[in-house]
Amino acid sequence: MKKYIRLSICFGLLAAGILACKNLLEEDPKDQVFVDNFFQTENDATAAVNSIYGILNATSAAPTFGGVYFSTYWVATGLASDEMENRLPATDLDQLATFTHRPVNASLYDFWTLAYKGISNANFAVDGIPRVKADEAFKNRLTGEARFLRAVLYFDLVRWFGDIPLVLSLRGEITPPRTPKAEVYAQIIADLQFAEQYLPESYPANDGLGRATKGAATGLLAKVYLTQGAWQKCIDQCNAVINSGKYGLYADFAEAFRIPNENGKETLFGIGFGTANNSISFWEAGQFNVRLLPRKLSGQIPGVNAQGWQVATQNLYDSYEPQDRRREVTLLTTIQNLDGTTTAVEPHIQKYWDKVNEPKAGNTDHDFPYLRYSDILLMKAEALNELNNGPNADAYDAVNQVRKRARFNGTAELPILPDLQGLSYQDFKDALLLERRHEFVAEGQRWFDLVRFKKLEALVPLAKPNVQPQPFHDLFPVPQGEIDLNPNLLPQNPGY
Amino acid sequence: MKHTVLFLLLIWGGCTALHAQSITGKVTAAEDGQPLPGVTVRVKNSNDGTTTDANGNYGVTAAKGATLVFSSIGYETRTVVVGEQTVLNVVLESSASVLKDVIVVAYGTVKKSDLTGSVSSISSEELNRTAPVSLDQALQGRAAGVQVTQVSGRPGGETSIRIRGASSINAGNEPLYVVDGMLITSDNGETNAGGTAGSGLNGLSAINPADIERIEILKDASATALYGSRGSNGVILITTKRGGKGGKSSVSFDSYFGMQTVSKKLEMLTGEEFAHYMNNYSKDSGLPLDARYLIPEKIGKGTDWQEAIFRQAPMQSYQLSVLGGGENTQFSVSGGYYKQEGIILNSDFERYSFRTNLDQKVSERFKVGSGVSLSYIKSRGVLTGAQSAGTGTLLPGATSSALLFPPTLPVLDSAVAGGYTFQDDRGRNIGNPVADAVETDNISNYGRAIANIYGIYTLLPGLNLKASAGIDGFSSKDNRFVPNYLKRGEPSNGNAVVATVIGLSWLTEFTLNYTRKIGERHALDALLGNTYQSFHSERVFAFALDFPDNRTGWHSLGSALNPQPAGTGESNWGIISYLGRLNYTFDNKLLFTLTGRVDGASKFGKNNKYGFFPSGSVAWKLHEEPFIKRLGLFYNLKTRLSYGIIGNQEIAPYASLATVGTIAQGAFNNTQAYVGQEPLRYPNPNLKWERTSQLDFGLDAEFAQGRLGATFDIYQKQTSDLLLFTPLPTTTGFSGYLSNIGGLRNRGFEAALSSHNLTGRLLWDTDLNFSINRNEITELAQGNDIPVPGVLTVPAGWSLLREGEPIGTFYGLVSDGIFQTNDEASSSPHLKAQNPKAGDRKYKDLNGRDAQGNLTGLPDGVIDEADRTIIGDANPDFTWGLTNKFSWNGIDLSIFIQGVQGSQIVNAYLFEIGSLNAETNVLKEFYDNRWTPANPYNEYPKVNPAERNVLSDAQIEDGSFVRIKNITLGYNLPERWLQRVKFSKIRLYASVNNLKTFTQYRGYDPEVNAFGQSHLLQGIDYGGYPLARSIIGGIQIGF
Repeated sequence: MKKYIRLSICFGLLAAGILACKNLLEEDPKDQVFVDNFFQTENDATAAVNSIYGILNATSAAPTFGGVYFSTYWVATGLASDEMENRLPATDLDQLATFTHRPVNASLYDFWTLAYKGISNANFAVDGIPRVKADEAFKNRLTGEARFLRAVLYFDLVRWFGDIPLVLSLRGEITPPRTPKAEVYAQIIADLQFAEQYLPESYPANDGLGRATKGAATGLLAKVYLTQGAWQKCIDQCNAVINSGKYGLYADFAEAFRIPNENGKETLFGIGFGTANNSISFWEAGQFNVRLLPRKLSGQIPGVNAQGWQVATQNLYDSYEPQDRRREVTLLTTIQNLDGTTTAVEPHIQKYWDKVNEPKAGNTDHDFPYLRYSDILLMKAEALNELNNGPNADAYDAVNQVRKRARFNGTAELPILPDLQGLSYQDFKDALLLERRHEFVAEGQRWFDLVRFKKLEALVPLAKPNVQPQPFHDLFPVPQGEIDLNPNLLPQNPGY
Repeated sequence: MKHTVLFLLLIWGGCTALHAQSITGKVTAAEDGQPLPGVTVRVKNSNDGTTTDANGNYGVTAAKGATLVFSSIGYETRTVVVGEQTVLNVVLESSASVLKDVIVVAYGTVKKSDLTGSVSSISSEELNRTAPVSLDQALQGRAAGVQVTQVSGRPGGETSIRIRGASSINAGNEPLYVVDGMLITSDNGETNAGGTAGSGLNGLSAINPADIERIEILKDASATALYGSRGSNGVILITTKRGGKGGKSSVSFDSYFGMQTVSKKLEMLTGEEFAHYMNNYSKDSGLPLDARYLIPEKIGKGTDWQEAIFRQAPMQSYQLSVLGGGENTQFSVSGGYYKQEGIILNSDFERYSFRTNLDQKVSERFKVGSGVSLSYIKSRGVLTGAQSAGTGTLLPGATSSALLFPPTLPVLDSAVAGGYTFQDDRGRNIGNPVADAVETDNISNYGRAIANIYGIYTLLPGLNLKASAGIDGFSSKDNRFVPNYLKRGEPSNGNAVVATVIGLSWLTEFTLNYTRKIGERHALDALLGNTYQSFHSERVFAFALDFPDNRTGWHSLGSALNPQPAGTGESNWGIISYLGRLNYTFDNKLLFTLTGRVDGASKFGKNNKYGFFPSGSVAWKLHEEPFIKRLGLFYNLKTRLSYGIIGNQEIAPYASLATVGTIAQGAFNNTQAYVGQEPLRYPNPNLKWERTSQLDFGLDAEFAQGRLGATFDIYQKQTSDLLLFTPLPTTTGFSGYLSNIGGLRNRGFEAALSSHNLTGRLLWDTDLNFSINRNEITELAQGNDIPVPGVLTVPAGWSLLREGEPIGTFYGLVSDGIFQTNDEASSSPHLKAQNPKAGDRKYKDLNGRDAQGNLTGLPDGVIDEADRTIIGDANPDFTWGLTNKFSWNGIDLSIFIQGVQGSQIVNAYLFEIGSLNAETNVLKEFYDNRWTPANPYNEYPKVNPAERNVLSDAQIEDGSFVRIKNITLGYNLPERWLQRVKFSKIRLYASVNNLKTFTQYRGYDPEVNAFGQSHLLQGIDYGGYPLARSIIGGIQIGF
């Protein structure tokens, strides 16, 4: 009996010990923080805003591979135009290159998904930052960054897809309807005006340089107004950028694409790529060169990873004045072999290859130039031409700054590309479109430009003889996968 | 001593054989005194014998001193020495008391005849016949309703088990494994460190099959509901060998040696044929002839890359075990060593395993015991499937590149760093498969300890309290290195991974058991208990790029120039359960079982932590009823009916929570690295159990004195509150969330037949099992189809979840032969963005979209995504296994045949080796039969086809097969020889595994799945590790 008592004591103790861990059912992950009490300190606000930037570049943990501006954005807008041809065996990209894309297209869905992921992170930040214990200026600055980035994403979405759901809080409505374009634009403008008000003009080189600035907001607002046809407002915004004295053109077009100049005077906003000297994952590097440089280069420079997935159209190459500095900086047509000979290749895009700083082309630290100063000049010229139904002196001055720079071959100014003068409204407009074409190759501009200039149908067949865009191609189709989950997105954009 | 006497008797019997006399008698059963017909009566060491008649009578001629052997199924065999008397009446004891007729069930055992649920048992002998590396492999084809697919032929490779079909979509579908009462971790994702590439190591391979005494597979709700939230995929109960009470120790030593070869090779083009192909391609596409291939005859056979990576691979196993004990102490100790080389270069599996089981009677009322097993595995795997080349680029693995690589290139090239031909020369950028296999390190180290202790205290007669505690601990470390001179190492200039995971699950159980007979007719067995289980694991993943020096590799991660940020992870979950069972037997005719379990689990939403899982069953022993007895037909007849609700909680932890974590990162101005914090998931505080209700009706029948037995079951499993990753519109910022939406149904029929065809000196037994399962998705969120997400080379949407269809369908276009003329090609509906010509594949225009994007169901003149339909199904129509066992004079022969009928496979290889696009080598069949104007066949496209990577029924193949899985021939040395050398047993045997597979499937093997245990992407074959054929010779010694 004594034994029985001792035994029950043992069992009892054991049972009590086990019952003590009644928190067995509580989940408390140590590697994560609960959403509701996340926002406490300045660091939390910064981390939340950083997560928006992190979606823009090359994060490997986004809903799909790559970030918003990793590739799909500039590849799709390059292929769906007279700029690029596709060489990667991928049906989605083939469809874009030939204007046969349909609602089911993985590239389009990627962009939609990624952009809304960025917007979700921005909404999370905008919601939460006011709860952080910090001074108002700090909170306003970070809210400004979040709202700027949200505007960037909505601006690209609305131009790609037309009426789109406008989601302004974390998680939002599950099946939101499409919001009329005008309302989306109103929100974009409100966000950019807030950013313009609270963002700093610049950041110290080692403490924030690369984050969104006041100039970025001002410049982007110019583009928003230009897209809306609000010519005077566009001109005012352009002038604000120009008169700020913060920005200018490098003397040599090539300088604009040197890695050390990435956040220099020509950049209003760039999407940062790179691994900070291998201190973060290699996935954060850009793949411009991997995608764009010719595959044959791989054999010539050890360690080069070049796939040649997209190339420039021959028509683009031929459209340049042969000595235009921008042609040699932008396009590659011969490869220097190891044995000293050369091999001719079809025109490949090499502007992102900084041969001095990154001799081994492959993963790159090069940023994606989202908004450059030359764009401000060309936008101003375009708006003036539209406003006055023809170019005035200011319009000529703006465009000729860009042409003058293109004449400079690195050592001297060549007698080519004379200053524009005496052009009609239409001729000036055509000249501007050509200027933009030469200036912004692979910067994700061409499809937008052709749509804004209403030249998609006329110009694409010149570069791609069997390809004929239709009027409805001024919008992309809303991804079918998204419509399947949210019937409120119907009807589909016309034509698809 | 017994043996010596027997031996002497034998000799004596031989001497007196002349004095034969006629013996007669009657055989009766001990339990009821009824006469036993059909009992085999044999005179030992002679050819004389007979069987008893309907009244149990027999007559036989035997000499005085001869030994008569009385045997009958279901009874203990008895031997009687003939003395002076000529009438020998013999009583046979029912063998119900011996272990083989006791079934291990959840938290206890039950007499087989009293079973009310659906359970299959597999003995140690059957289990180890195929020399399996792990126990799950050994279950293949052995039990009705259990589909075991060996998804990788890698030594120690993964298997996938479905008991009565897949009952879940996003939660796990693998059964629960219980080793001597310890619920162990069976998810390979949990036990693998995740650092190696290619097919993973099977976590269950840590359990040495030779230590296993028996396996029970619990299938219906009555049998599994006591495991509550973890039983819905079935339960596999593993009982390891324990010592007996006989007072005598037995030692057994088993060893075998085997040789493996690849079971099939694909017929690709030789070098010469490849050159002809390239020349044809140039002509077809209007290009000048390529100088490399101008004189095909000079190229000759070229390199056979399959030959180059496959090898003859030895395997060996040694197992020593000692079992023994007396009245108070029983023990078993064993040690095993197993080594298997893989049939692909540089792959292997090596295991050291030890086990000790101990049971001690401390007093009349108190018993304690323990079981401890330790094992250590070292295994090298091969990069199969499509694998990363280090920095985001995918390259085909060794098995695929062996098919793709041009036969015109040599294996070695001394002019290149590393000494191998670096890459292919057709522009596909494939690495050398031999170099890939040989020069890559891909090593897993894996240790596992499963241990438990228990104590049973008898409080009152019939009332026992049992307490037990156990752990399942594992630790795994993976090392991988790709040197910079491989194509795979090129983008990163060499890369290495070192990854570890350690995990521990602990379990405590307290149960109170009460058994009581009330009067003659009522028997009661009740169980109450509670259990706690908790799991914790931690991971580290370190990855580095850019190794200028290849000599140190992963051994010196720090020597890399570009170390990547290390990753860590952890996982925790816990379950608290309360359980009870009541068995009631009325008059030994009617058996009732009620069970219930309440489970609280950490993984679910705070509103739904607890779930209740009841079951009830009834069995009726019809053969005990006079009206059945009168028929004289049934030796045993029992019907069973059970219903219950079981759960599934096999999801990742934290799925219900709204938490913030670090994902996005980047660098400003190339120098300022930053990390972001963002919401990780769309939370679901109402997340709860997946519930599967199962109804089972079963019939057990035995005829002809038990010589013929049959078990039939029909069942319906209905899963509701399906744990489903429900896609969300991505405007929410999330692609989806885990919710309880949807339903799934499995219906099926199982039959197991066993027959003792011959029971004389030549014994012949036949066992047949047969299963049909029909899986159907009954409900999805809003009824919408869910495309299955893509993995690696498989794009999203190859498979589709759709109401009314099973899990595992294939979704794509329907092909319609080959365009015969250019006019036909351009005027027919064709894929947009492709300009097909004569000789290209034609597809059916089945559907179109209206202006709003809605499907019209009408042809629209274009082939596009709208024309996709369900074109195949990976689920088999039925599966079966057939075993025939013969034994005669110490010689035993068993033949095991396994079959799967009606399953389909996406042969994803065909996109490359069935497409004549001049980038890779191709199947000879596709080249020889290609479309040309002179050979206007309607099946194989032309050289230089327009289409690429479009999934259609042209890639779907019949995966049915019949496999001669195992033939074993053994010889037990006669006892009289053994006596002299003091052995109790010496058995020599030879066995062949996977001797022959009869199948229409074009790939290596119809069983391989590129995606391991994934049930959403099943039946997709790409670059797997092919199955080996092995020939084994072994010896089993006992003393």
